[in-house]
Amino acid sequence: MVEILNVSNLSTAFQSDYGSKQALKNISFKINEGEVLALVGESGSGKTVTSLSIMGLLPNNAYIQEGNINLIDKKNNQVNILKLTDDKHNLIRGNDISMVFQEPMTCLNPTMTIGDQIVEVILNHKKISKTKAVKEMIDLLGLVEIPDPTQRAREYPHQLSGGMRQRVMISIALACTPKLIIADEPTSALDVTIQAQLLQLLMKLKNSIVSKTSILFITHDLGIVRELADRVIVMYHGEIVEEGQVKEVFDNPKHSYTRNLIQSLPEFKLEERKLNKKDDNKPTKVDDNEIILKIENLFKEFPVEKGFFKESNETVKAVQNISLNVKKNEVLGLVGESGSGKSTLGKSIIKLLQPSRGQIYFNNENISEYSNKQMIKIRQKMQMIFQDPFASLNPRKNILDTLIEPILVHNLMKKNEAINYIKEIINDVGLPIESLRRFPHEFSGGQRQRIGIARALVLKPEFIVADEPVSALDVSIQAQVLNLLEKLKKTYNLTMIFISHDLSVIEFFCDKVAVMYLGHIVEIAPVSKLFNSPKHSYTRALLSAVPKVKGKDKEKILIKGDIPSPINPPSGCVFRTRCPNPGIDCKGGNIEMGLIEVEPGHWVDKCCVNCN
Amino acid sequence: MNFFIKKLLIVIPTLYIAWTVVFVTLNIIPGDPVNLMLGGRPASDEVRENVRKNLGLDKPVFERYTSFLINATKGDLGKSYLTRQPVTTMIKENMMPTIELSIGGLIFGVFFGVFFGIFAGTKPNSMRDTFSMIIALCGISLPSFWIGMMLIYIFGTTLGWVPIVGEGFVSLILPSITVGLFFAGGMARLTRSSLVDVLNQDYIRTARSKGISKYRIVLRHSLRNAMIPPVTLLGIQFGLLITGAVITEEVFARPGLGQLLLQAILAKDIPLVQALVVYMTAVYIFLNLIVDFTYGIIDPRIRLERNRG
Repeated sequence: MVEILNVSNLSTAFQSDYGSKQALKNISFKINEGEVLALVGESGSGKTVTSLSIMGLLPNNAYIQEGNINLIDKKNNQVNILKLTDDKHNLIRGNDISMVFQEPMTCLNPTMTIGDQIVEVILNHKKISKTKAVKEMIDLLGLVEIPDPTQRAREYPHQLSGGMRQRVMISIALACTPKLIIADEPTSALDVTIQAQLLQLLMKLKNSIVSKTSILFITHDLGIVRELADRVIVMYHGEIVEEGQVKEVFDNPKHSYTRNLIQSLPEFKLEERKLNKKDDNKPTKVDDNEIILKIENLFKEFPVEKGFFKESNETVKAVQNISLNVKKNEVLGLVGESGSGKSTLGKSIIKLLQPSRGQIYFNNENISEYSNKQMIKIRQKMQMIFQDPFASLNPRKNILDTLIEPILVHNLMKKNEAINYIKEIINDVGLPIESLRRFPHEFSGGQRQRIGIARALVLKPEFIVADEPVSALDVSIQAQVLNLLEKLKKTYNLTMIFISHDLSVIEFFCDKVAVMYLGHIVEIAPVSKLFNSPKHSYTRALLSAVPKVKGKDKEKILIKGDIPSPINPPSGCVFRTRCPNPGIDCKGGNIEMGLIEVEPGHWVDKCCVNCN
Repeated sequence: MNFFIKKLLIVIPTLYIAWTVVFVTLNIIPGDPVNLMLGGRPASDEVRENVRKNLGLDKPVFERYTSFLINATKGDLGKSYLTRQPVTTMIKENMMPTIELSIGGLIFGVFFGVFFGIFAGTKPNSMRDTFSMIIALCGISLPSFWIGMMLIYIFGTTLGWVPIVGEGFVSLILPSITVGLFFAGGMARLTRSSLVDVLNQDYIRTARSKGISKYRIVLRHSLRNAMIPPVTLLGIQFGLLITGAVITEEVFARPGLGQLLLQAILAKDIPLVQALVVYMTAVYIFLNLIVDFTYGIIDPRIRLERNRG
């Protein structure tokens, strides 16, 4: 095996006003030709700093304390990257080592066409004519499976979807057939379905045209590591704690941190819970008779902003004809790709958005036409937990003020009573009492979400809509927060709607799941039924798209393309344009959508029932 | 193109409001235009009445207001009280010197403003950043009469490099620098902050990962993205210049619209003021259109939004 990159004793530190902080502590590893090496760890573990050190793209306040990074370049010379001047390093960047970044939305220059951005890197490193470079660029776009490359090359990044932009990034990285591609969380910002498409593309390219290129794949997602990588390095607090062949590390982790990391995955937690449930003699009981929330034919449409004179007649059809029931003490999961209308539905239910049509019954009270003033009383009983724990807390208010405000607004208690009560709650969510005097920026992500939860709980609500409450958190923190929610659900007797794009989280936490696609619910069923025998093609595709750590590799069901625009959704069954096996009838778009019950409690859109 | 038609239609209410404000204020502030015309010379009541009648000042205020509006829509902005010339002729005579000065100031200001902006912005918090920003601050805060007089003193009288008065291109240099310095200061500060912002964007990191030289990164990838705020400022400042730089005109004894406006207001020469207001509004709206158009050239995302609208 030929070694192409050797990192030895690398230490990198950040300089700040408070002194310097080491981000990498004496790490050493090597990458062989043609291998896929995964670098895993949680945020702050030093994964990205490692990649930026290799690329020579560290921010100004970071510096390399010691170490060597030796690269065998294309001409088979060994170069120590750290000893290079910036100009010399430029000959290597993009040519011998290239990079795919995390954020496809912001990583491409908005004022240059994507064609120009690819041609630029080709002309920068190859001595060929412009026309030849343009030809190479079109070939590259074809290679990363962008349809209609000549047309697309003339477009700007904002005209492309996230998945397409990431394909462009990959083609930039491939342009000079480098020795090493560093992919830093390339799919983390994308939906699972798009992620599956991209990972498949990467592997296809890896096995064909760039078989000698090595990939350093940085990710927090252990499922991806399992599916893609040959070897894995686990990082923790700037150190390498474990290194080995993927199978070895996953089946037999040596370091306790690795073990924890694997154990805290929801898919493992689920197993643990199943085991515990046998001993647990009083599981949460869902009261079958008492329906807390009932929604009938709910629609939410937003008008599209139009010109000065023209009245807009186009609308974004965010939520379409949704009916569902939530029973007391039940947790209903809402799952779907971004743009499926999950959050809009959640917000419409507690009327942070006024629904366009349809009825909402809360405790048998029709609240759909209530004014904001009338809602004040109801809001005491229905609360929301938001996705971004930082942005949803007022940065200029300390935690006590944030938490006490709703109590005083609703006039529930006197101030000193309220303070004591808040102390109880802050204890319940697992934070020290001292936190009350602090401000949001002083907490970590997980702690902030605990504050967000406490804020939702202070009014003792019966019903909570949790909108992606753990998506912004690391896996181990995610597990802690989910456990906390699980505990609080019992102590506070909560009924919940739990919105998430992460299927394993849904499986772990919910009793019933509704799968949403382009504003419609396409399947709704109890968790075990939905995960074990999904009926709708979309659900199946979603389930198979998730990279799993456990289990054998199944043949993936890939769905094509991106989610269509909710302004002009396909007629008939909205899923037909991406359906892996559309029937003749639904291809024509003449079928009306609607759920039918295939088994007790298991409802599926009738189009898909007919097709299968 | 819907977008630009919409912008043009805003002229009508803007003009109407501006005219009304001018008319009302000039009628409220004390002083009789006839007295100001006579310049304190004694005149019989009969003569005064005649002048008043000639100027149409004998009619009630409301009638004067409406007849002005009606005439204006016909394209007749009236004659100056002071000179009895059509106001449009007076404006035309003073327009060229002002436009010359504005363009001179613009060229000087943009060149030095953008230059110092890039110089400072590519290396924030360095010596050269501090140095450039001090110069920019001077440009903004030093009063133009002082700068003008210093320039005359140093380059005109002491060194004798450039004539102080006279016509043609050479005489334009010192006044252009005077107005341009103010311009350059604002441009430099805004270009700097915008550039610092852009250089921290993800796509700049992408560009660096391609191995592109730092000059190309600044010129090809950053500058265009950083230009939206400076272009906005450019529109506003150029508008200020082209409506007349009173002080600079005064210091260099140049004719111009600033001078004209000042005299018109002092003489309560309502038609002239009104006409100047028309001119200024038109200039501002035209410049705004150009600025908006430039946004579209700079940023394709803005272009897209318009095509939708």
